[in-house]
Amino acid sequence: MTVKVFHAELGTAIATGLLGLAGVFGALELGRGWTESGPEAGYFPFYVGLILLGASLWNLIAAFLKHREAAGIEAEEPFLDRDRARRLGIFIAALLAFVIVTLTMGIYVGSILYITWSAWRQGGYRLPVALGVGAGFALSLYLIFEAIFKIPLLKGPIEPLLGIY
Amino acid sequence: MANFDLLMHGFGIAITPMHLMLMVGGVLMGLIVGVLPGLGAPNGVSLLIPLTFALDPTSAIILLSSMYWGALFGGSTTSILFNIPGEPSSVATTFDGYPMARSGQSTRALTLAFMSAGFGALLGVIVITLLAGWASQFALKFGAPEYFAVYFLAFAAFIGMGSAAPMKTMVSLAAGLLLASVGMDSVTGSIRLTFGFEDLLGGISFLVVVIGLFGIGELLSTVQEGLRFRGVASKIDLRDVLKTIAELPRYWATYIRSGLIGIWMGITPGGPTAASFMSYGIARSSSRKGAAFGTGRPEGIVAPETADHSAGSCAMLPMLALGVPSSATAAVMMGGLMIWGLTPGPMLFATQPDFVWGLIASMYVSNLIGVVLVLATVPMFAALLRIPFTIIGPMIVAICFVGAYTVSNATFDLWVVLVFGLVGYLFSRLDYPLAPLVLAMVLGHKAENAFHQSMVLSDGSLSIFFANPLVSSIMVLGIALLVLPKLVAFGSRFRRQVPVE
Repeated sequence: MTVKVFHAELGTAIATGLLGLAGVFGALELGRGWTESGPEAGYFPFYVGLILLGASLWNLIAAFLKHREAAGIEAEEPFLDRDRARRLGIFIAALLAFVIVTLTMGIYVGSILYITWSAWRQGGYRLPVALGVGAGFALSLYLIFEAIFKIPLLKGPIEPLLGIY
Repeated sequence: MANFDLLMHGFGIAITPMHLMLMVGGVLMGLIVGVLPGLGAPNGVSLLIPLTFALDPTSAIILLSSMYWGALFGGSTTSILFNIPGEPSSVATTFDGYPMARSGQSTRALTLAFMSAGFGALLGVIVITLLAGWASQFALKFGAPEYFAVYFLAFAAFIGMGSAAPMKTMVSLAAGLLLASVGMDSVTGSIRLTFGFEDLLGGISFLVVVIGLFGIGELLSTVQEGLRFRGVASKIDLRDVLKTIAELPRYWATYIRSGLIGIWMGITPGGPTAASFMSYGIARSSSRKGAAFGTGRPEGIVAPETADHSAGSCAMLPMLALGVPSSATAAVMMGGLMIWGLTPGPMLFATQPDFVWGLIASMYVSNLIGVVLVLATVPMFAALLRIPFTIIGPMIVAICFVGAYTVSNATFDLWVVLVFGLVGYLFSRLDYPLAPLVLAMVLGHKAENAFHQSMVLSDGSLSIFFANPLVSSIMVLGIALLVLPKLVAFGSRFRRQVPVE
C-alpha cells in the first residue's frame, strides 16, 4: 500500500479544518459577541477558528490544484511507500503499547519492557543483555529523578511491593 | 556606559562556581540533545524545565540558555560528521560541511563551524548588550494596543518571511492560538473549548506539546528513513585546529555579512533556521571565484554557522525586552520564565536587573565554554551516534514521556505527547512549520489579553491599532512583513523568465 503526498495533504487540511470548526462551534456556545465589560469569552477563539478554517480550505484547494497539475505528467511523489509504512507502523504500535503499559504498570515497568523488547527483537541482542540495558536505564531514571531531584515518576502496582513509593 | 556597568555587575553574578558548573553541565547536556536525533534544543529545554523548579530563576535561565548553546553546537557536529542535521538550523551546514569532512578534513570543518558559531554568538551578545537598555526604555512606552501590534508583527513575520507556504504557516499559527485558549480563560473566568473533557480544564501545556512535536515527531521521521549513519572519523588534531584558526581572518567579509543577517533575523522573528539558509544563499550568490559551493567550500560552513548562532543569541533580546520570542527555543524559555513567576517585558529590566544582566553576562561566558568543550568532546559525542538506534531510540522515547509527565504529573499528558508526535511528523513531512505553533501557544494568552484590553479601551473599534504614530508604525511594519516578501518573490519570478541554475 502506498500513500501519496496528495492524500496526506488532503487528510491534514481536513483535520486542521475540523479543528477550526470545533473552535468556532465551541466559541459560539460561549458567545462571541460584545458585552458591557468588553468582548465575550468566545470572541477571540471564534475568529481564530474562522482563520484556521479558511487557511485549511486554502490548503485543501492548493493540494487539489497541485494534484491536477501533476496528473499525467509524472508519477506523484509517494508519502509513504511499503517499506517506510512498515517501519513506521511497527514503531508507532510499540509506542502505543508503551503508553498503555506505562499507564497501567508505571513508567519503570513500561520503559524496561519497551527497551528490552526493542533491543531483543529489533536489535538482535541476546535477551539477558537486552534486559540488562532496560533495567539499567530504569535504574538511572530512578536515581536522577527520584533520588537527586526528588521528582516522583508514574508508578504502577508493582513498585509499592518493592518498597518504592 | 550604564550598560557597561550593568554588564560588569552581571559578570559578578554569572561567574560563581555554582553558575560556572551549571554552564558546563548545561552545555554538555545541550551537546547530547543536539547530537541525538529526536532530541533538539526546543524539547531539550522543555524536558529540563521541570527540573529547574528547585533553582532560583537566574541559575535556571543560565542552565537553560547554556543548554541551548550546547544544542546549537551539537547540531553542527552531526551535520558535518554524519550529514545528519541535529537541529533544523544546522541543515545548511551539511551542504559544505559534510563534503569537507569526507575529503579528510573533518578537523578543519569542525573548527571552522565552531569558531564561526562562537563568533556569531559573540556578535549577537554584543548587540544585546548595546541594545538591551534602549529596547527596554522603548518598550516602557507600550500599552495594550502596542503589545498586540508587536504580537501581530511577530506572527506576520513568520508568515511573510518563513520558507513555508504562507497558508500552512497560518494553519500552524491559528492552531497554536486555538490550543492556547483551551481551559480557563484568565480574563472572563469562563471555561472554554473543553467539550466536557475534565482533563482539558487546566488547558494544554505547551511544554508537553513541544516534547511531542519536536521529540516524538522527529523520531518518527528518523524511523521512516530507516536510520543508517555513515559517519566520518572524528579525531580532533590540535595542530589542524590552530592552522584553521589562522585562516579564519580570510573570511572576514563572510563573517560580517552573515553576522548582520543573523542579527536581523534574530531580532525580527525570522529565527536561526531561516537565517542560516539565507546567509548560505547569499554567500553562494556573492562568491565569484574558487571551487563550487556544495563541495566543501569553507565559506559554505562559515556563513550558515555564523548566522545561526548570532540569530540564536539575538532571539533572546525581543524575548526579554518585549516578551516576544523569535525562535521556538526562546518561546519555550519564555514559558519557563512565566512558570518561575517572572514577567518577560520591559519591567523585567527594572525589577530584576540581576536576572537580566546575569543572563547576558552568562552568554559571553557559556559560549566561550561551549567552543572549548565542544572541541574537546567531539569524538565522545560522535560516538553516541554509533549506539544502535534500536537501543537509543526507545530510550529517547521514554525520556520524552518521563519529561512530559513531570510537567504536571498528569497521565493525560502522555496521550497529548503521542498525538502531537504524530502531528509533528505529519507537519514536518508536509512542510508545515512547527515554530509558529509553539510561539502561538506561548503567546496566545498574552495576545488575547492585549487584544481584549485594547478593545475595551476603544469600545470595540479596531482603529485603536492606528491611533498613534508608535502603534501605527508597528502595525504597518507588520503588514509590510506579511505582504512584501511574497510580492517581491512573485515579482522576481515574473521578471525572470529564464530559470537560474
